[in-house]
Amino acid sequence: MSARGKTVAAGAALVAGVMMLCGGEREARAEYGDVVMNNYSDAAGMRPAVFPHWFHRVRFRCKVCHSDLGIKFKAGGNEINMLKIIDGQFCGACHNGSVAWSVENCDLCHSAKPGTPTQVHDSTINLLGGAGTAPTGASAPAGKK
Amino acid sequence: MTLLRFAGGSLLAALVAAPAPAQELPNAKAVYDANCAACHATGIGGAPRTGDARAWSAPIGTGINALYANAIKGKGAMPPKGGNASLTDAQVMAAVNHIVGLTAAPARRTGAKPVDTSKGKLVYQVVCAACHTSGLAGAPKLGDAAAWASRLSAGPGSMYANAIKGKGAMPPKGGNASLPDADVRAAVDFMLTQMRGGTALPPAGAAAPNPAAPAAPAVSVPGAVVLAPAVYESADPNAFNRLMVAPGRRNPPPAEDGIHDPESPGTALLQAPLLSFQSLPRANLGNYVNWVTALGKKQIQPRWDTRDPKAEPAVMDLNIVREVKGSMPDVVFPHKQHTEWLDCSNCHPAIFTPEKGANQISMAAIMLGQKCGVCHGKVAFPISECRLCHARQKSAGARTVEGPSAGGGRQ
Ligand code: HEC
Ligand code: HEC
Ligand code: HEC
Ligand code: HEC
Ligand code: HEC
Ligand code: HEC
Ligand code: HEC
Ligand code: HEC
Repeated sequence: MSARGKTVAAGAALVAGVMMLCGGEREARAEYGDVVMNNYSDAAGMRPAVFPHWFHRVRFRCKVCHSDLGIKFKAGGNEINMLKIIDGQFCGACHNGSVAWSVENCDLCHSAKPGTPTQVHDSTINLLGGAGTAPTGASAPAGKK
Repeated sequence: MTLLRFAGGSLLAALVAAPAPAQELPNAKAVYDANCAACHATGIGGAPRTGDARAWSAPIGTGINALYANAIKGKGAMPPKGGNASLTDAQVMAAVNHIVGLTAAPARRTGAKPVDTSKGKLVYQVVCAACHTSGLAGAPKLGDAAAWASRLSAGPGSMYANAIKGKGAMPPKGGNASLPDADVRAAVDFMLTQMRGGTALPPAGAAAPNPAAPAAPAVSVPGAVVLAPAVYESADPNAFNRLMVAPGRRNPPPAEDGIHDPESPGTALLQAPLLSFQSLPRANLGNYVNWVTALGKKQIQPRWDTRDPKAEPAVMDLNIVREVKGSMPDVVFPHKQHTEWLDCSNCHPAIFTPEKGANQISMAAIMLGQKCGVCHGKVAFPISECRLCHARQKSAGARTVEGPSAGGGRQ
């Protein structure tokens, strides 16, 4: 039975992991759960988009976006682009001038520093991968200059 | 797509040229105009003037939370809440954001580029850090706003000159005579941005134009990446919290959070998280908000439907206990707290087969972002909150005893 060995190994990995999780001082210290989306933005000359979970969860339950609107739990994994948004999908289901301010306010969404990779800020994987390195999404950080 | 991009581009140009859309926090400007402008628009009685980046650099350098606190409690000739005790803390904080926003704005309007600090940072680390990180021989410490503020009052120009020619115990060019002047200036610029907490204030170089500074080329400094293990804003080696985020530095406003571009006209309009969180119950980690309690006490009322504010979730109260081998307390998975936020289909069957014990779950999987880790450690509370999940003490025989802490035991 190697179960015991496994537990020990898992324990060691845990300790190492948890050390990083107590929230080391990093250069980027955006709000927990902020999602940066940069599948296409950099390449298109726009600042990457930032989606603040904390702001939206004050106003909506997760179910609204992740079930009703079908947004998958994967940063950068929904292939969101502007055509879909102006057709009323994803952000466009609300940012249409009726539920929330509309799509012409480009800069409110496209507000990240150019070159910021797709990521969920402060996520476990993000922390384990080091200061803001590992993007969790499927995206290649497009257009790194 | 090209077409759309083109259309988007011109739209963008049109919108950026137009004055900022009216998305400002509802009453920030009104609060400012009515209560703060009298002193801060004019500079009466030594009030730092709104828009005067130099005057604000020292206060802003102490961090936004200190500004909030001083504006609320008063400081020197500045009366508490600007003299209007009926203002709520939130209104005062909004007015502070407004001031900071307007003060940071001129840099954008004149199209000044943010200081490129990558070169300066490299020079700093190789040449200047020896004295300026620790404060050796009386050198002003990196990030120590007070130590720098008095020097800055003579203007950044004299500072460049002193750094190049030397001053007191500070050797010319930090003792490295072969360093080009432009590199020394770049290092000074970097040191000044650190003092300002990395905000969007105009670079010293903009105030005292000098031809050489902009020459510092962007990005490709060989070795910069390797050599630059983040210079932390608090450079005091004996600071109480070295690795943990100190309380005063949590939930920074967008312009200071390292992800938002302070140069983007949108950033100043975004809400500072603290403004929203101050009335919510606090937690130790994550957003530092206890979302379960906030929802339970109706301090927030997130919608269950995009448009219908009255739609209610069908909450299911079913705890699933998962026994854990070893010393860790057992895990209690509470359906109640989850179905408050989520639909059954968010978890079943994609993440979990709906059958007690049918799913293999381990901490390794969770830390890799699977199972409970699909949400926890990303948006729901982080993995470090062991006790919220490992909530049921093991006590031989008494299997029904629930842990004293939150988790499934709450409410
Ligand atoms: C409600 C938020 C939101 C607003 C408002 C918004 N965008 Fe976007 N936009 C996004 C998101 C999200 C993406 C996907 C980002 C990615 O993965 O790179 C995106 C992608 C893009 C892209 C690259 C993909 C594509 O469709 O070509 C461009 C260009 C773009 N936006 C331009 C604009 C312009 C111009 C405006 C203003 C007229 C605007 N956006 C307003 C959210 C927004
Ligand atoms: C207003 C819409 C909205 C709400 C409400 C919302 N989310 Fe999200 N969520 C998103 C968007 C958008 C993304 C990013 C998708 C992308 O990048 O393609 C996302 C991504 C995620 C991810 C993916 C992270 C990863 O691994 O890459 C998780 C997990 C998540 N959300 C959990 C939640 C939880 C839990 C809640 C409720 C507390 C919630 N979300 C509420 C819109 C929302
Ligand atoms: C379920 C509805 C909904 C969806 C979907 C949604 N939003 Fe929002 N969003 C809102 C509402 C409501 C507001 C507040 C609007 C207001 O202040 O009038 C908001 C505000 C914002 C803000 C401004 C926050 C602030 O500080 O004021 C940003 C940025 C934003 N959304 C980005 C996005 C992006 C990016 C997406 C898509 C990835 C998105 N939103 C999808 C409803 C939504
Ligand atoms: C009666 C004049 C007066 C009014 C009204 C006033 N201020 Fe001030 N304020 C001052 C003076 C003077 C200082 C400089 C205090 C010092 O540094 O000793 C100051 C400093 C500040 C600071 C910097 C504090 C620091 O940390 O150094 C902030 C922030 C501030 N004021 C915000 C506000 C806000 C917000 C309002 C309106 C609600 C307001 N003030 C109204 C006179 C005023
Ligand atoms: C040998 C230690 C040492 C090194 C190395 C060093 N400094 Fe200094 N520095 C000092 C001391 C000491 C002072 C305080 C001088 C005084 O005010 O008497 C100082 C002051 C300064 C000042 C403030 C000058 C003023 O106007 O008050 C600047 C700017 C500065 N240093 C920049 C730099 C830069 C840039 C480098 C690297 C290229 C550097 N220093 C390297 C010791 C050092
Ligand atoms: C956050 C994720 C999540 C949500 C949302 C969720 N469940 Fe579950 N559910 C679980 C987990 C985890 C288990 C335990 C599986 C195990 O032990 O292997 C479970 C187990 C179950 C079981 C099996 C109970 C037993 O005793 O065998 C049923 C039935 C069930 N869920 C129904 C639902 C229904 C109905 C909803 C919506 C009202 C729902 N679940 C929402 C995660 C969730
Ligand atoms: C689909 C997303 C999702 C998944 C998967 C998920 N959770 Fe949660 N969980 C949440 C959200 C959202 C909350 C509300 C609190 C918050 O956001 O921090 C929550 C709250 C909880 C709470 C309540 C804490 C309290 O303060 O009362 C416990 C305990 C918990 N989760 C344990 C688990 C466990 C154990 C698993 C895996 C078996 C799991 N969760 C899987 C989203 C999820
Ligand atoms: C989001 C909920 C959650 C959090 C937070 C959490 N755990 Fe777990 N943990 C679980 C679940 C679920 C299991 C699997 C239980 C089982 O075997 O069914 C588990 C299993 C374990 C095990 C058994 C070995 C293994 O790897 O499966 C250990 C040890 C453990 N956790 C330690 C910790 C420590 C230490 C922390 C805090 C750093 C922590 N856990 C935080 C949910 C959580």
